[in-house]
Amino acid sequence: MFRFVLRRLIITVPMVFVVVSLTWGLIRLAPGTFYSQERPIPAAVIQNIRAKYGLDQPWYVQYGKVIANTARGDFGISLRYLGQPVNEILWTALPVSATLGLLAYLLALAVGVVSGTIAALRQNSGVDYSSMAAAMVGISVPNFVLGPLLVLLFSLTLFWLPPARWEGFSVNLIMPVLTLAAVYMAYIARLTRAGMLEVLRSNYVRTARAKGLTDRQVLVRHALRGGLLPVLSFSGPALAYLVTGTVVVERIFALPGLGNYFINANLNRDEPLIIGIVAFLSILILVFNLLVDVAYGFIDPRVRY
Amino acid sequence: MAVTVPAAAGQGAAVKGTSLWQDAWRRLRKNRLAVAGLFIVGFVVLASLAGPPIIEWTTGYTYDYIPRDSALIRAMPPLTGPDGSFSWTHPMGTDNAGRDILARVLLGGRISLMVGLISTLVSLVIGVTYGAAAGYLGGQLDDLMMRIVDVLYALPYMMIVIVLLAMFGGQSPFGQLILLFISLGAVSWLTTARIVRGQVISLKNQEFVLAARATGVSALRIVTRHLVPNTLGPVIVYATLTIPSVMLLEAFLSFLGIGVQAPLASWGSLAADGIQNIAIFPWQLICPGVTMAVTLFSLNFLGDGLRDALDPQMRKG
Repeated sequence: MFRFVLRRLIITVPMVFVVVSLTWGLIRLAPGTFYSQERPIPAAVIQNIRAKYGLDQPWYVQYGKVIANTARGDFGISLRYLGQPVNEILWTALPVSATLGLLAYLLALAVGVVSGTIAALRQNSGVDYSSMAAAMVGISVPNFVLGPLLVLLFSLTLFWLPPARWEGFSVNLIMPVLTLAAVYMAYIARLTRAGMLEVLRSNYVRTARAKGLTDRQVLVRHALRGGLLPVLSFSGPALAYLVTGTVVVERIFALPGLGNYFINANLNRDEPLIIGIVAFLSILILVFNLLVDVAYGFIDPRVRY
Repeated sequence: MAVTVPAAAGQGAAVKGTSLWQDAWRRLRKNRLAVAGLFIVGFVVLASLAGPPIIEWTTGYTYDYIPRDSALIRAMPPLTGPDGSFSWTHPMGTDNAGRDILARVLLGGRISLMVGLISTLVSLVIGVTYGAAAGYLGGQLDDLMMRIVDVLYALPYMMIVIVLLAMFGGQSPFGQLILLFISLGAVSWLTTARIVRGQVISLKNQEFVLAARATGVSALRIVTRHLVPNTLGPVIVYATLTIPSVMLLEAFLSFLGIGVQAPLASWGSLAADGIQNIAIFPWQLICPGVTMAVTLFSLNFLGDGLRDALDPQMRKG
């Protein structure tokens, strides 16, 4: 177990560097620079800018600097938000995205597991069909359509909720979280239903019933544990998808999270900030995936490392 | 004799076995949701192909036609004429430049469906090749290749696609489409590779492969002629479900402004335009958004239906 975790952690390091190198390469190969603009800049100014940001050095020196920065966990100074260290931006944006993502995931987990389990217990009933149809709607409606429609309904027609802005942990979060959670709710409900259907027919559940446990005991102690394994293994990729989802949701609701900064950084060619966010999120996702795998071993006694 | 059936069968051509595909088709037809999905998808495809010329012919509107008369350059609600009365001229209304939204939604449909289809094909080519190679070669190479797939699953690949499109995009609308096909295909092949590998591994030790090898068929030919065709069922099912997910990714990129470039439009970019005016002209978001949602919904049902039809063991029942 310990060796497994250690080995996975060691693999994580080169992976992060591959991602960082790829991102850096893409930025460097692309035409144009961060200081390009409509109005021509005097050659002397360009020379000064290039010298200041080390762009006059050979590419391997610059690349080495990026890698060294990533290794130290200090991504330098943003090119766009003048004078602001990238790390500072990361730490102010992280709470926004983390709150959003965590609440959305918890909501999706709660609604998805409950409705999926009920659908599986009452297979082929009206409840089953309607919750699975709702899940299909959740998968099919893009979040950038769902979000604005919620705004239209709750903010612009009913005047119940504020349409945008970040005010910490407040009612402002209701619509963004709902928008972000919809797809995962749907996925988790489908996975739970499929997993539970399989487990409910398995021998060990039959044994549990046969020895006289009540339906509730069978469900809580035996069936859920096996039936939720697909949901657990979905949690790893889900974080990667959540990162993508927050990009859109932060944009719709004008929230100052990592996703919003990431898009702006790309449009501004803010190299240190792009690389900082990519590296940071890659590490986060890889570590989270490792945690999911470890948790798998605890929940499923058949898994051995 | 009363029993005539065996006699008729004995006469040769009368008995026909049902192939896997006929069987699947029969089962698919029984699934009402999947058939409805098939019809809606068919309708959307036909409308996006035939719709724009019909609109141009009847009203003179194309996706980028801006009226000469400046009084018409404004947003009009669906089914409303310039004077505010009922009119069929713009079934989905107009955008701020007076362009017909239906014509734009249909063009968006062309682009969105095309991206969905071509990117899925790209992902199939990569996924099938990779999976078949890993499965057939086996051993440590297989371990390594699948390890790489596991690793790629966990990476925030959409971030790299965003970087790619933001850095290299925006040169020309056509070049942007090519970039979209390739980058979306390149991030959607992982599951296909896993499916094909699994199938190839379970098939490669069967007698027909042994027979092929014994008659001196080359490894490449065994894979392409004997193994890959036998994996097609699950691959097609997965591909049907990849199309909506790729369309969603494209819409997501276009929504962020780094996908399809003007003057072309996709459902995602139309929705992004619509959001600007959501408070005053909600139809500009609702029309493309709902069209897209209905199409994805139908594609998903069709894919689920196909899976149940082609793989009876996987059926929910």
